[in-house]
Amino acid sequence: MAANFWISSQYKELLDPEEVDVVHQLDKERGITLDDFKLIKLHMSNYVARLAQNVKVRQRVVATAITYMRRVYVRRSMTEYDPRLVAPTCLYLASKAEESTVQARLLVFYIKKLYSDEKYKYEIKDILDMEMKVLEALNYYLVIYHPYRSLSQFLQDAGLNDVTQLTWGLINDTYKMDLILIHPPHLITLACIYIASVLKDKETTAWFEELRVDMNVVKNIAMEMLDFFDSHRSITDERVNAAMSKLAGR
Amino acid sequence: MAIAAPEQLNLTEAPTWGSRTVDCFEKLEQIGEGTYGQVYMAKEIRTGEIVALKKIRMDNEREGFPITAIREIKILKKLHHENVIDLKEIVTSPGRDKDEQGRPDGNKYKGGIYMVFEYMDHDLTGLADRPGMRFSVPQIKCYMRQLLTGLHYCHVNQVLHRDIKGSNLLIDNKGNLKLADFGLARSFSNDHNANLTNRVITLWYRPPELLLGTTKYGPAVDMWSVGCIFAELLHGKPIFPGKDEPEQLNKIFELCGSPDEVNWPGVSKIPWYNNFKPSRPLKRRLREVFRHFDRHALELLDKMLTLDPSQRISAKDALDAEYFWTDPLPCDPKSLPTYEASHEFQTKKKRQQQRQHEEAAKRQKLHHQQQHGRVPPVQQSGQGHPQMRPGPNPPIHASHPQVAGGPSHHYAKPHGPPAGPGRYPAGGNPSGGYNHPTRGQSGAYGSGRYPPQGRGTQYGSGGMPGGGGPRGVGGPNYPHGAPYGSSGTGRGSNANRNQQQYNWQQ
Repeated sequence: MAANFWISSQYKELLDPEEVDVVHQLDKERGITLDDFKLIKLHMSNYVARLAQNVKVRQRVVATAITYMRRVYVRRSMTEYDPRLVAPTCLYLASKAEESTVQARLLVFYIKKLYSDEKYKYEIKDILDMEMKVLEALNYYLVIYHPYRSLSQFLQDAGLNDVTQLTWGLINDTYKMDLILIHPPHLITLACIYIASVLKDKETTAWFEELRVDMNVVKNIAMEMLDFFDSHRSITDERVNAAMSKLAGR
Repeated sequence: MAIAAPEQLNLTEAPTWGSRTVDCFEKLEQIGEGTYGQVYMAKEIRTGEIVALKKIRMDNEREGFPITAIREIKILKKLHHENVIDLKEIVTSPGRDKDEQGRPDGNKYKGGIYMVFEYMDHDLTGLADRPGMRFSVPQIKCYMRQLLTGLHYCHVNQVLHRDIKGSNLLIDNKGNLKLADFGLARSFSNDHNANLTNRVITLWYRPPELLLGTTKYGPAVDMWSVGCIFAELLHGKPIFPGKDEPEQLNKIFELCGSPDEVNWPGVSKIPWYNNFKPSRPLKRRLREVFRHFDRHALELLDKMLTLDPSQRISAKDALDAEYFWTDPLPCDPKSLPTYEASHEFQTKKKRQQQRQHEEAAKRQKLHHQQQHGRVPPVQQSGQGHPQMRPGPNPPIHASHPQVAGGPSHHYAKPHGPPAGPGRYPAGGNPSGGYNHPTRGQSGAYGSGRYPPQGRGTQYGSGGMPGGGGPRGVGGPNYPHGAPYGSSGTGRGSNANRNQQQYNWQQ
């Protein structure tokens, strides 16, 4: 749409990893570690995706919602902003911002259907109230540029149309991490293409060389993703539950 | 992010994340009132800068923060141009719970949300309506060029304004013109494949394709409105003052000729073409009616008021028109006369009150006649027609009196509901001249820009390519509920405010 990434707030407000990986003081006091923090955000990203599948919105809404949620926790504590409410609220807000509106009552219906746990139980009013707080936390910056945007153009240019599916899936996976807060989206796209081309044994060195991008950054993003995939295997329900249990009850 | 110089604390910077509160501003005066809230002139305490605060009304919202406000914010946060109003920031006021009882408000949100705009002195309609006002040719060219420049910028950035009219063109005392009120605006893709609502743009400025019911359209809709404004500036009064959709189309056809497959290929496939087709073909009379206009002006106007949107001139091409490059050339905005000290609201209010008083007296006499004699022309169609209807709209009977005219300033236009009979006059300009029922209703800052979301468009599915990930079937189709809610009817229909049309899914 309007303008472009380079003059957007998203660009101006790209963060250093050190700024993202900060556990809020209030959360620390509850014993939430950096690992817990990341696990909860991962768990909530999955929650958003699951909800989205049920209410049927497109991937871009999911991506925007997760980005909102991750941005909220750069500045706000999980103690004060219960992720189990923030996550569906972000989906609700993102559905409006991405012109695929979902009714609040539909969300509430599926929340109840998916999670019988009392702690997930929130009503329409809770979502609407949290929406205001999320908007405030986001300072009303609602436009998010995503790595999907440049994907097809890159792949076409590189003659890699047959890895579209794989790369798309890899991009989906990047939302399990905080990459979108830290890197310009097109570099995330390139990192995903890089991984896909290595996995599929495609020769892309020349193509990447012709791009005027810092390949070190691209490769670093790719490494970060591969590290994450490795550690992802060791994430068990027990670990997630242990982290979630440190959140405040209601 | 803002970064302080090394070894200096970053104390003065506003926080980059999280919004400020309205306490950073001192409200000076309420300067507008709309169906959704108030507009204030305010001073930023830290800098002394004068701004306009537009409150987003929330208490009628069943679906939280209004999607219309989200659209406006998204769009305004991205548009930065000298001819587009600058949304400086959004501030919130803390909930009352916290204020009065000194305890945090938990998850409750009771506060207000304000959009902070740069302050502008006038709007084009207000300026043009001043008694004795006559724009010079260089002045008209100057305003038109700024309007087209701002609009071109929007269109390049794939934003349709969808409510271009005089009261949404704000003018400051430096002669700058800025597009304002993006409450109906939305982004579009170049392929024109998405279905958009045809219930946009104030009736008098609405292009034939929308009146004929098309849901696939592009920047040309705004250019029609520009043509209407251009003609109005030259002609001295609105050229298509229709009171309902059929009459609006008639007025258009009478001047621009009736559409057919020759002058507008494909027109017969537009949904309501057959309902509105004139019984006999009408000739285009535009050049004849306006033959007294300057040759280049007429040429440009002719291209703007072209029935077929695909042949209508674009903002970019209009800027290249001879009109702007022949003597007298557009003047420098700075050379334009200033019309009134910016902050004389008291004076204006007094004048307004006086006028209202006088007109109220007249109104008493005219009351009955007007109750039934005048039909408000704007934005009525949606009300009571939540679904998109296949046929033309009959005139809606709104017996509410309209306010027209009013003071020359958009802020000071009476926006609120009538306090009682006689407070607002029914017929704006009883002293003669033309009625301008849209005026006074929707100053760019102050109008009822956030009626319920029924105004939402029909979204086509805009899925992304490729697979993977949960993908829906695109956005749901919104019923075309009351695209304008009660905003267009202004003061008259505020009684309906509480039963506004939440046609989310019916």
